[in-house]
Amino acid sequence: MHLLEIENLSKSFGGLTAVKSVGFHVDEGEIVGIIGPNGAGKTTLFNLIIGFLKPDSGTIKFRGENIHGLDPHKIVNKGISRTFQVVRPFRHLPTIANVMVPLLSPRGKKKIEWLKTPERKAMEMLEEVGLSEMMLEPAENLSHGDLKRLEIARALATEPDLLLLDEPFGGLSPIETDYLTKSILRMHLDGHTLVIVEHKLHALMKLVKRVIVLHYGEKIAEGTPEEIAKNPKVVEVYIGKAE
Amino acid sequence: MVASYLRRAYSSFAARVLDVPPRLSAFLFLLLFALLPLTGIGPYYLNILILANTFAIFVVSWDLLVGRTGQMSLGHALFFGVGSYSTALLNKYFGLPYFVTIPLALIVGALVAVLIGFPCLRVKGPYLALVTMAFPLILWNLVKFGGLSPITGGEFGIRPLPSFFPFLPISQQRLAEYYLTLILLLISAVTLYKVANSKTGIVLVSILDNELASKASGINVTKYKLIAFAISGLFASLAGAIYAHLLKLANPATLELTVSFIPVIVTILGGIGTIYGPLLGTYIYYILDLYVLEIMIRVPEEWKNVKFLAFVLIVIILIIKWPRGIAKSVVDKLQDLEEARELEEIERERKKKQKKETTSSKG
Repeated sequence: MHLLEIENLSKSFGGLTAVKSVGFHVDEGEIVGIIGPNGAGKTTLFNLIIGFLKPDSGTIKFRGENIHGLDPHKIVNKGISRTFQVVRPFRHLPTIANVMVPLLSPRGKKKIEWLKTPERKAMEMLEEVGLSEMMLEPAENLSHGDLKRLEIARALATEPDLLLLDEPFGGLSPIETDYLTKSILRMHLDGHTLVIVEHKLHALMKLVKRVIVLHYGEKIAEGTPEEIAKNPKVVEVYIGKAE
Repeated sequence: MVASYLRRAYSSFAARVLDVPPRLSAFLFLLLFALLPLTGIGPYYLNILILANTFAIFVVSWDLLVGRTGQMSLGHALFFGVGSYSTALLNKYFGLPYFVTIPLALIVGALVAVLIGFPCLRVKGPYLALVTMAFPLILWNLVKFGGLSPITGGEFGIRPLPSFFPFLPISQQRLAEYYLTLILLLISAVTLYKVANSKTGIVLVSILDNELASKASGINVTKYKLIAFAISGLFASLAGAIYAHLLKLANPATLELTVSFIPVIVTILGGIGTIYGPLLGTYIYYILDLYVLEIMIRVPEEWKNVKFLAFVLIVIILIIKWPRGIAKSVVDKLQDLEEARELEEIERERKKKQKKETTSSKG
C-alpha cells in the first residue's frame, strides 16, 4: 500500500483546467519533487491534497483511506502537513506561539510526549530549525528566510507522516538555500516523507529521488532526476523546441 | 530650552512613577473604583458609574470576539437584548428570582450566539458585519411590533422587574448596586482576559492573523469561532440581564443599533484586542457623554442628537492622536521606556567592566 495514492485527479476553475487527470503515488520515506513551469497546477495539486480545494473528479487516498472532500483540519489531523509558497505566519503572535498553534490541534496534542508542555515542545521545534533566539519576537519582525524556516517548524509540529513543501527555496539566498537543503535531508533521514514543489531545479534535483513533471495541469513525465533532465518533452516545455 | 527640560523631567517622572507592574496597576485602579463612592459623590454620578460598569462587561465581551478573532460583529445588541428579555420573561411568567433568571439568561445568550454563529460563519469580513447587524433589528421588530409583542409588552417592554436589593433603603441600594456591578465586571474582565491570553486565545489570534494557516495547522476553525461567539454572547447577555434589573425594565431600546455601535467606538478608542483598553474606553465614553456634555456644557434638549455628533468628533480626534487606542498607547510607551532603561543599564555595566579592566591592566 502506498502512503499517498492519487488517481485521475481533475480540477477546473470555470473554463480553465488547472489539474487534468493527474495520477501518482508516494511511498513511505520517499522524497518526491514536482516541477513544472508557472501555472502548471503544482500549487493547485497541493491545495487539493490538503483539502483547501475539492476535486471535480478523481480520488486521493492516504494510507488506503479516501481523503478527498474532507475539511483541511481533518486531513492535517490524519497526518499530512504543508507549507505555503507565500509565507503565512501569525504576525501578531510571538514566534514560539506560531509553533504552538499546531500543537494545540488534536493531532498535535497527541504527539506531545508525556509530561511535556506545548511550550517546551514548541521550543524544541524552534531549536531544530535554528530560530530559538527569536522565540519571543513577534513573527512580523522576522526576516523572510526566518519566516520560511518558521513555516517548516510549524508544519513539522504535528509530526506529519507526509510533508508537502510548496517552493521552500523561493526567495532564499544561496547560503539559506544550502542550509535548508541540509535540514530537508535531515528530515528525510529522520524518516519523514516529503513532496516538494520547486522552481529552483538545481536545488531540487540534488534532493529528490523521483521527479514528476506537470505542464498545463497534465503529468508529462515521471522518473529519476537524470531521466527527467534528458527527457525531450521536459526540455521542450522548459526551453522550447529545437527548430 | 525650557520645553526640552520639561520634557526630560516628564519622561524621568514617567519612568519612575508610572512604571508599576501591570498587576499592581490593575489593583490600584480597582482600589480607586472601590473607594470612589466613599468620596461622597452624589447618586446621579453613582448611577452613571453603575451603568458604566454594566456596559463595560458588554464592551469587553465584544472585544474578545472582534479584537481577538476578528469576527466583525455589528449586532452585539442582540445578545444584550436577549439577556435583558430572557431574565425579564422568566421573571414575569415563571416568577423566578433574579439569581435564577440571570444565570439562565446567560445560557440563553450563549445558545443564541452559537445558533447565530452557524450561519454567520459562512461569511467573512464586511459581509459578516452586515449579517450580524440584521439579527438585532429583526428581534427588535419582533418584540416591538411583531409576533412577540403580546408577550414582550411591545414598545413599553416588560416592567417592573425586581431590583437587586429591595430590602435596603433607597440611598444604600445604589451603593450596593455599584459594588455588585463592580464585582461582576471584575469577574467578567478577568475571565475574558484569561481566555484571551490562554492557549485558546493563541488559537483565536492565529485565526485572526491567518485563517488558512490555522486550518493548515490542523485547527478546527469553525469550532474555535463558535467558542468565541458563545463566550462573547454569554458575557454580553450577562450585561443585558444586569441592565434590565438595574432599570427594572426590559425594553426594545436594548436592541437598537446604537447599542451595537457603542462597543465598536469605545473599543477602538481604548485599544482593540487588549481587554483592558475597552474598559478605559467605556469610562471615557460615560464621562464624556453623561458628565461633560450633559452637565458641564449643558446641551439643551432639542440638541440631543448634536450631542452624539460632538461625542463622535471628540472620539475621532482622540483616535487620530492615539491610533492604537489610548490604553494600548500608554502601555506601549511604558514598555518602550522600560526597554530604554534596560539598555542604559547594560551600557552602564559594560562601561564599568571596561573601566575595571583598564585599571586592572594598569595595576
